[in-house]
Amino acid sequence: MRIAAQDSPRPRKVHPAEAAIIFLVSRRFFAIAADAVQEIRSTDSIAGAASEFESADVPKVRHTIERAHRQYYVVNGCVHFALPIVRPTLVLILRQLRVAVLVDRIERMTELPSVYDLPLAFSGEERRWYRGLAQLDDHVIPVVDPRGFLTAEEFRRLESVPSAAVPLQELEGAASK
Amino acid sequence: MNARENGSRNLFVILHLAGQKFALAASLVAELAPPVRLHSFPHTSPLLSGVIVRRGRILPVYDAVRALSGKSSSAHRFYLVARRRFGDTSEMSAIPVDGECELVNSKMSQPADNAVAYICGEIVTGNETVGVLDLEALVRCHSESTVLASEARL
Repeated sequence: MRIAAQDSPRPRKVHPAEAAIIFLVSRRFFAIAADAVQEIRSTDSIAGAASEFESADVPKVRHTIERAHRQYYVVNGCVHFALPIVRPTLVLILRQLRVAVLVDRIERMTELPSVYDLPLAFSGEERRWYRGLAQLDDHVIPVVDPRGFLTAEEFRRLESVPSAAVPLQELEGAASK
Repeated sequence: MNARENGSRNLFVILHLAGQKFALAASLVAELAPPVRLHSFPHTSPLLSGVIVRRGRILPVYDAVRALSGKSSSAHRFYLVARRRFGDTSEMSAIPVDGECELVNSKMSQPADNAVAYICGEIVTGNETVGVLDLEALVRCHSESTVLASEARL
């Protein structure tokens, strides 16, 4: 054993650099690969296209939105990550998945120099939530796995629930309910 | 077994956790690192308080003090970096410690009959008997108690 001095990190590149969107949910930072996001909209702008959704089995989804004739399930990021509820202002509409995610705001777009595997010690739901961890400036932030927002089983349950149209205020206030 | 192997088997690091002394097999310990920034993010794994960056690696941080005393470690001076096994592989992990660590050479004996599950043996150093910590068992015990507590709440 040795008592070591402060050192500067020598990042081990686990995955190649990639463009990412840094966003906040309940004032916590997360990253998502830029190519996993199809569209970013304000909650105001999509409220007209939203439908209310009631599913006791999947409480993080309370609305759907329709984009290009496809129905997207709107996942509340705060509920998904079990964080205190904060009113969302933006929706990330994901690519290739019928999922949209309510978030506080976008911090910036950047290039992640490397994404590290999640340490094996993390053995809970986070293994499904995250692809890994990224070191950005002085922060370590989780890089979300877009497929982790809804499991196949959750999709199956949601598909069996009918939906109805709702006004703007209800989508904006969905997080506070 | 040669003298060197025998010697390393008898080497232990004495650490201070939750106001108590524990020993950890020195073969599991990589280094004693200075306090660095703890990064936390949402997760559901019990006992983990976040990660630190050490020598270019991201290390999970086990809040062993919380498991031992029920309180989170508020002030600590160092991180003890130790290896934890996961099946055929292993991973470096950090444990916040609230005092300086010392290396001692002592032979481990069986734990007392009433020892808690995460104490796998005892060593004698000076006039003291110190329990040898089994990190795996500590994590396991804490995980089980967390599950039981959450089931009791339901």
